[in-house]
Amino acid sequence: MTINWLAFVQVFIAAFTSAVIVVGFYALGLRLLVRAGRAPVVAPAEFTDAITVISEKEARRAEKAAAKAAKRSPLTEGQKRFALIGAYACFAVCALAVLGGLLLIVFNH
Amino acid sequence: METATLIIVLVIALALFFDFTNGFHDTANAMATPIATGALKPKTAVLLAAVLNLVGAFLSTEVAQTISGGIINEDQISHDIFPEIILAGLIGAITWNMLTWLLGLPSSSSHALFGGLIGATIVGVGVTAVNFGVVMSKVILPAFIAPVTAGVIAFTATKLAYTLTRRYDSKPDGRDGFRFGQIFTSSLVALAHGTNDAQKTMGIITLLLITAGLQSASHPEPQTWVVFACAITIALGTYMGGWRIIRTLGKGLTEVKPAQGFSAEASTASTILASSALGFALSTTQVASGSVIGSGLGRRGSQVRWRTAGRIMVGWILTLPAAGAVGAAAALIVVWLPVWGVIIDAVLAVVIILFLFMRSRRDEVTASNAMSEVADSGRAVKVKRNPPPTRRQRALAREEARRVAAAEAATKKAAKAAKAAERSESRPKDGGPR
Repeated sequence: MTINWLAFVQVFIAAFTSAVIVVGFYALGLRLLVRAGRAPVVAPAEFTDAITVISEKEARRAEKAAAKAAKRSPLTEGQKRFALIGAYACFAVCALAVLGGLLLIVFNH
Repeated sequence: METATLIIVLVIALALFFDFTNGFHDTANAMATPIATGALKPKTAVLLAAVLNLVGAFLSTEVAQTISGGIINEDQISHDIFPEIILAGLIGAITWNMLTWLLGLPSSSSHALFGGLIGATIVGVGVTAVNFGVVMSKVILPAFIAPVTAGVIAFTATKLAYTLTRRYDSKPDGRDGFRFGQIFTSSLVALAHGTNDAQKTMGIITLLLITAGLQSASHPEPQTWVVFACAITIALGTYMGGWRIIRTLGKGLTEVKPAQGFSAEASTASTILASSALGFALSTTQVASGSVIGSGLGRRGSQVRWRTAGRIMVGWILTLPAAGAVGAAAALIVVWLPVWGVIIDAVLAVVIILFLFMRSRRDEVTASNAMSEVADSGRAVKVKRNPPPTRRQRALAREEARRVAAAEAATKKAAKAAKAAERSESRPKDGGPR
């Protein structure tokens, strides 16, 4: 009975790297998005009675808080634009990582 | 010859039924979180899950080849008896699934399938017909390693997600954005489900075709019509299962924060996809449960509820041998009574399926039973409502306290000085010239 232990290590490394890349860059993107003064507010899709969903009022409040914070923020316009570009770059890295992983699975038989 | 064809058709039908229940049962695993956090409309979520399961089934056939070309030694098997054995194995798997469902035990339909197949083969053909090396390295070891892997990855990813978005100046931290991100990670979980679970049925049908002499053993990859049939069946099952969730959601759910859910789903999807690519036949439910527990532990102030975690573990360990025993019993009937045994088994299967159907109609679906075992396993971790502060938060709090103390001292001093000044001022007022 031969067991290919290397395969388990491969799975762990591949899964670990991809998950860390996707989660890390997504989180970083969100952070930069906030820094650029565009706090993401996801209003609930019509389904409002599940517990952790924010109501419309809360969403408005969050938007207002974000605007206020952005006003307080001492960042210049250029810095903000830089952060925004960085945020979108992070999201792009996420998407590319996912796509790359899937292509690797499809074409690597 | 005609009975043989009939049996093959029967086995394929039963295998597809198994595929359907798998999709039906597992929709909740992928799509419960984005529906619950309001990231997706329920209808969209279910449709998305169904489509992605369909796509996922086409991505890779490694897992199907593990089953059709690995775990059973085809050369040891005579062509005329094996379809009956597969039938017995399927009946073992479906029976065990029904039992665990009725008793509310955590279980894995994939392991029930392997258990049933292996048990039936051992009884019906002999121990040598099972390739235990492949079973060990592609089924049993992954069953233990994959959930732990997913848990470790989810733990790290959750820590990372929280650390990167933590702010110390009480400005918005953007964590709401994870709610949006969950649309994508849940989609990936649905896709991964298709690459692993739909493959198992393809593998069974292909194994059947090979042993019946309808396909060459040197080409264990599933034929196109098999891939299509399994993909469509699992997508259909997912779609139908979704309506059951939609009816019930919103009556109270377990508490999974968007950042945590995002990390858990990312690690579930990556673990399953990586394993599928190498042909490990996993239980997607177990991997997702491992991720949920790991990500719960990644939050501050979390503790494992060992009793709940232990109950889940026992259910997992029990599944393979128990389904094996049921499959072996079903195979015994076939071996003892060559023709009647098949009829008895077939009748048994129909009875079980009818019972399942009636039961699912009668059962009132509530938030507690629609919310999948994955959400259930979240209860194995307790997260405090007010987590202890991080080191930097503690430092900030200390500094704040020092500042407050200093400010207080300063105001006290100022008050004292003012009083003194008042006194010194009031003195000349009394006696001074005016």
